[in-house]
Amino acid sequence: MTFMVDLGIITVSCLALGLASKYLRQASIPAYIIAGIILGKSGFDLISSYEFVQWLGKIGIILLMFYIGHEFNFKGIKEPGRLFAGCTDFFVNFIAGFSLGLLIGLSLLEAFILASAVYISSSAIVISSLIENKRLIYPEAETVVWLMVFEDIILAILLVVLTSTMSGSLAMIPVSLSTTLLLIVFILALVRRLSNFISPLFERDDEIPILLIFALIFGFSAIAHLLSVSEVIVAFFLGSALSGAKSFKKLFGATISFKNLFLTIFFFSFGMMFPLKFAVSADFVLALLALIILSILGKFVSGALIGKRLYDSLETGLRIGAYTTPRGEFSIVLLAVALGMGTGISELLVSLVVAYVIILSLIGSFFARHGDRISKVMVGSIKHFINHIHSTRKYG
Amino acid sequence: MRISELPEIGTKYEIESPTGDKVAVIFLATGEIELYVLEAGAEKPSVTRLTSEEARRVGSVLTGAMLTIEREDVEVSFSEISDLRINIHICPITEDMVGKSIEDLAIRKRTSVTIIALSRKGQSIISPPPETVFEEGDLIVAIGEREQINACQRVILGRS
Repeated sequence: MTFMVDLGIITVSCLALGLASKYLRQASIPAYIIAGIILGKSGFDLISSYEFVQWLGKIGIILLMFYIGHEFNFKGIKEPGRLFAGCTDFFVNFIAGFSLGLLIGLSLLEAFILASAVYISSSAIVISSLIENKRLIYPEAETVVWLMVFEDIILAILLVVLTSTMSGSLAMIPVSLSTTLLLIVFILALVRRLSNFISPLFERDDEIPILLIFALIFGFSAIAHLLSVSEVIVAFFLGSALSGAKSFKKLFGATISFKNLFLTIFFFSFGMMFPLKFAVSADFVLALLALIILSILGKFVSGALIGKRLYDSLETGLRIGAYTTPRGEFSIVLLAVALGMGTGISELLVSLVVAYVIILSLIGSFFARHGDRISKVMVGSIKHFINHIHSTRKYG
Repeated sequence: MRISELPEIGTKYEIESPTGDKVAVIFLATGEIELYVLEAGAEKPSVTRLTSEEARRVGSVLTGAMLTIEREDVEVSFSEISDLRINIHICPITEDMVGKSIEDLAIRKRTSVTIIALSRKGQSIISPPPETVFEEGDLIVAIGEREQINACQRVILGRS
């Protein structure tokens, strides 16, 4: 019965904090993490089986990646400027995160994880704020949405690289990399091969469709687990393989509901393991502050470069920067996948990323909401600054 | 008209008027439809969210489909060909027409209207041949442009 109590605690606390976040018009991701922190190890320690909750959370990550894989579509890559936009976003922010990671004394692997967390914006927050703040008519909205798609592509690559390098000794890297790639090809080929058999099953009105989809997800995850390949990568490619099947459309809605439930538990489970003891040290606070300032600057710089190149407008670019500031689910997912792969990750990095995501999802949704005003003020002050330099040159 | 896919959001259809006003229709993945209007030079767009039923109504007003159902007149237009409008007119024949054929009355020649169907004692005759002779109580279904239908009303049916 203790599992029941755990489930009750999680769902009720997440519901309460989630509702509060919606009323306050804030992102809900930090609400679930905070619920975890309050009730978990560092807080009231009310959870009886942390392992059980973490397993449920793991299902959340798998379903999230399945969802991302399904929605994934790189058709737009050919449109002018898009590749430039995606690469600028990646290089500016990844390099910024990586350098800061090394500067605060993290290992190469940890710096890689930190850089990924800094780079990847939260699609969930970014996209919902584009809709809520009525930005969809502006041309830069398309660029922002595209950046989220490009980040998904990079996320898949980063995950493959990360899990292959973490799988053991240096000599094992090519082996695990090729195992991963082979498994991906196998899944894509098998789903295509079986599509004539699978498609009609999705159209049934009974429990078979939902069973089938979970059999595919968990079945392939099990194979991945046996081959020591990351389940999330497999889920991602399974999702993209199934996006071709028309009959799957209707069922996809049902899997989204499951994803939303288990992903909430995932955020909770991450919060409940959060080691609070670091949060009080001065070094930690300094590192966190530096990280936050750097990530905000990073997105504004990459946004400005993109805006200049695509729209010939600094203000539009800064708006892109503001809209892409929120970080969230992917930063934590990456960390969770790395943690699941094995050792070599310090508690310092874990607490740094968790605190970072909580703060940047809140700051980020504020920036996304007031993007037009923020960019206007920034452009104004930049102009003012330039004028100031000019005038001091003239008279000074 | 620009069409762009917004992954995870939906599909955006956008049109810009010569004066710089923009109108965008976004079919959200949730099934709802957002209608954006951004006047040239305006700071913020006006946005409304419609259900698919509401959107259909707005759409049919804009395209003119089923625009008028006045007496037995139905105007049909096609979204693909925006300037093609066809009026379908249904009316009983007049006494003068009884015993005469479509050919005798030269309906097509005089008014450019085509009789596409006849309803006779509950039976329908689709695409009646020109030699068809009208009987008392027949209902005719004619198609043509609004002006042609009006001409038919005046010349053949003798109404003003």
